Amino acid sequence: MAEVNATDGWEPKIIAIVCNWCTYAGADLAGISRIQYPPNVRIVRLPCTGRINPFYVMKALQEGADGVLVSGCHPGECHYLTGNYHARRKFAMLKRYLSYVGMEPDRTNFTWCSASEGERFAKVIKGVTEKVRALGPAKKLVKTL
Amino acid sequence: MENVEKKIREEAKKLLADKKVDVVVGYERGTLPLTATPVFITEPDDADRLVYDATCVQNLAKYVHDILSAHKEAQKKVKPEDKKKKVVGVVARGCTSRSLVIQLQERQYGRDDLVVLGVPCNGYIDGKKMGIALAGEEILDGSLTGEGVAVKTSAGEKKIALNDVLADNCLTCRFNNPVISDLMAGDNAPAKAFDREYEKVDAFEQLSTEERWAYFTKEMGKCIRCYACRNACPSCYCKVCFVEQSMPQFVGLSADHTDTQLFQLLRTFHMVGRCVDCGSCISVCPMGVDLRNFLKKLDKDALELFENRAGAKMEDVPPLSTYKENDKEDFIYNP
Ligand code: SF4
Ligand code: SF4
Ligand code: FES
Repeated sequence: MAEVNATDGWEPKIIAIVCNWCTYAGADLAGISRIQYPPNVRIVRLPCTGRINPFYVMKALQEGADGVLVSGCHPGECHYLTGNYHARRKFAMLKRYLSYVGMEPDRTNFTWCSASEGERFAKVIKGVTEKVRALGPAKKLVKTL
Repeated sequence: MENVEKKIREEAKKLLADKKVDVVVGYERGTLPLTATPVFITEPDDADRLVYDATCVQNLAKYVHDILSAHKEAQKKVKPEDKKKKVVGVVARGCTSRSLVIQLQERQYGRDDLVVLGVPCNGYIDGKKMGIALAGEEILDGSLTGEGVAVKTSAGEKKIALNDVLADNCLTCRFNNPVISDLMAGDNAPAKAFDREYEKVDAFEQLSTEERWAYFTKEMGKCIRCYACRNACPSCYCKVCFVEQSMPQFVGLSADHTDTQLFQLLRTFHMVGRCVDCGSCISVCPMGVDLRNFLKKLDKDALELFENRAGAKMEDVPPLSTYKENDKEDFIYNP
């Protein structure tokens, strides 16, 4: 993936790690409602953002994702009550930390998106895809061996 | 510090003689000049081996955890009526006491398994700074003289100001006196320049993204994955560390640089709200990797975002084990 040049038909690959109860259903809704969004996203479903280990984000980046998106229930709406509040703390730290070591901040993204927000899901995917496209293919932390 | 040393020996002797503790974890003279090494004293008569000065480097909370968890494991095989309690006495300065607090907060053992022999601290000598000050000459003999160190090398004798060789974390330490203690050996030590603790992180933040990445990769490029840093860390006590996990394997072991970078990102990130800046990892690193620049950033952010200073207070809840409804969320993407 790294060897594909930004100019010759490179398409960003984005890993979306999402909560089963909201964003995943939101993606479903977007599909059912035939709302168009870029096909660059690969969805990984977990039971709750509280279950998303920050390592998954870093691992995805190492394995060749050009961008990562983590999305869960809006604050106050977590199926397990507090999973997303805990996740918010972890990812606030992670986002700052990855920028600090010199990774491009726009490669890691966090958002909330509920089951009824099909429109918003499409908008988020569009937005993240554009941000990552602007950065070009990931070079940092990408495993080549 | 002489009086502190005397007091430690007295108290340790008493604790052991009165059977208040089973073992005292402290420091004794090392085999090389100007070094000290951790020691486990079980007999009152051996208490005189204890020393305490600027050559004492390692964070002893590591050993407290090792002893108590090994004991807990062993007791599992013992009949209920034969179960024994083990109490550990530990010589603890500021950072050691904070690590004890963290282990207590993480419910690794009970407060009654521990007798904390608090000591005031003025900082320890950084071996790598010493090496630079002596241009790599081997130390043949040495002694501490109040504000300085007198060293003999094959190139002759040299006097070095203590402040020139104290570890970076000691120079800007905020908690150089114990945050918990049952006994105190000596009066509190004078404050260090803690208002400058984030100076380096602040400066690093000002660099460009590319400069930061270049520094990160340069530093991590030195790492040989010996895991000495993890083994020395009092907050690294997982039975199975992610680095050894193979099903599934979190971090690869190939020669690809990103494997090492990922290892370091993951390990340092494990230290959110758990790193007390004792410098143990740095002191044992054979390659001189600048781990502190990265760990200190996590410390700074945890303070900025969650008002947390790792292990500073018994009543605190670890920052990632709690939340506030109004935690900052300016990093959330909102198209
Ligand atoms: S690096 Fe992490 S997983 Fe390994 S021992 Fe330390 S805290 Fe545990
Ligand atoms: S002690 Fe140093 S060389 Fe060894 S694993 Fe840690 S950072 Fe790498
Ligand atoms: S259930 Fe959706 S974030 Fe917890």
